[in-house]
Amino acid sequence: MIAAPRPYTLVAELTYRCPLRCVYCSNPVDFHRSRDELATEEWRRVFSQAAELGVVQLHLSGGEPVLRGDLVELIQHARACDLYTNLITGGTLLDEEKLLRFRAAGLDHIQLSIQGAARESAEMVAGVRSYRKKLDTARLISKLGFPFTLNVVIHRLNIAEVPELIRTALELGAQRLELANTQFYAWAAENRSALMPTREQYDRAEGIAREAIAKYRGTLEIVFVQNDYLSGEPKPCMGGWGRSYMCINPTGEVMPCHAASVIPGMRFETVRDGALEKIWRDSPAMNAFRGDDWMLEPCRSCARKEIDFGGCRCQAFMLAGNAAAADPICRLSPHHGVVESMRKNSSADDELIYRDVKTSRHLSRRPSIPS
Amino acid sequence: MMSNEDSWRPRLAARARLKFDAIANQEMILFPEAALALNETGAAIVRLCDGARSINEIVDQLSEKYGDADRDALMREVMDFLATIRARGLLR
Repeated sequence: MIAAPRPYTLVAELTYRCPLRCVYCSNPVDFHRSRDELATEEWRRVFSQAAELGVVQLHLSGGEPVLRGDLVELIQHARACDLYTNLITGGTLLDEEKLLRFRAAGLDHIQLSIQGAARESAEMVAGVRSYRKKLDTARLISKLGFPFTLNVVIHRLNIAEVPELIRTALELGAQRLELANTQFYAWAAENRSALMPTREQYDRAEGIAREAIAKYRGTLEIVFVQNDYLSGEPKPCMGGWGRSYMCINPTGEVMPCHAASVIPGMRFETVRDGALEKIWRDSPAMNAFRGDDWMLEPCRSCARKEIDFGGCRCQAFMLAGNAAAADPICRLSPHHGVVESMRKNSSADDELIYRDVKTSRHLSRRPSIPS
Repeated sequence: MMSNEDSWRPRLAARARLKFDAIANQEMILFPEAALALNETGAAIVRLCDGARSINEIVDQLSEKYGDADRDALMREVMDFLATIRARGLLR
């Protein structure tokens, strides 16, 4: 077993409940099965244990974390543990009174998502009327002087709006703009062909983003998260499995990343079962792909294995059928052809599948071959 | 922002804060998605960046603390260090 490194980041998915229905949602497709959310006291204990373990960054995420009635208490406790506390929100449920209470509780930063630079396209992706409210919330956040990041998940339906999105971030007074190209897991994988941009769209957007990154340096920090299908570079997922990052879902399962539940046979221990330190150090799931003993060729002898860690384990499972294989994004993967064909399969005609409880039930009933 | 270094009274940006990390036994600047570990001198400089002190005053304080330091060399080091963290958007 590899000695457990120090975790720096905890993503706390406080709930899977959400008023939005975004077609790219990263929550598991079977999220409706998740019941029995951790109670306030359980999250407080988790934050304390995480801070003792070395975590310094806490992301309060969801679903929509503002749906938790105890958010103020959770922020207060996170700050008492000296965690840098970031709220990741859709913004549709926020008002001035709530924001002031969050600030008084010590919230460090807000990450607000919008789905596009125009109402119609944004609401087509969010699946509900939400655009104006989000912009109002963004202005409020800015007026109150909260440090904030504007996050936009980028895909075929909004990739042409990148110049307007940069202008929007500047107008709204964000300090940071994440142009986060869709990562194809969970609901985004269901909608892959509808969300996959064309090569031309992607290269144009990337060029515009690169220029803007240099132009606005010092005013607005712009982050362009790549679409690995189109960049061709395997991502060093989570900076390496179980290395510096952990995600805890609404029922308390401790995972190396929020997508890891797609890998068959992964059984996650929950914070109800024992101390976080022990789960981080010893749990089979956390150790499954730590270090490089698990690697197969071509990764095992590859000079880049310390750089990209063989890419993403979930993607290796989804596209190559083996979570220990090289991520098929890599040209050296024997399964790279799958990525080639999915990259070319970009279709404006595909119907969008929206993330909601009803669809979650429906998709969870699909027949599958147990592995 | 860069125009007049003499009147600049640096302090951490709203989105950044200083934390003493008991595990690594050092100060770090926390900001969205990242942390920047500081050595003892770096931490001493950042602690003096309170929005009230000018760079001259910060250097005065440090040269008092470190006694024998060459003031011009210290000034250059402080300016370089502050420029580096300002370039990351962590100072205002």
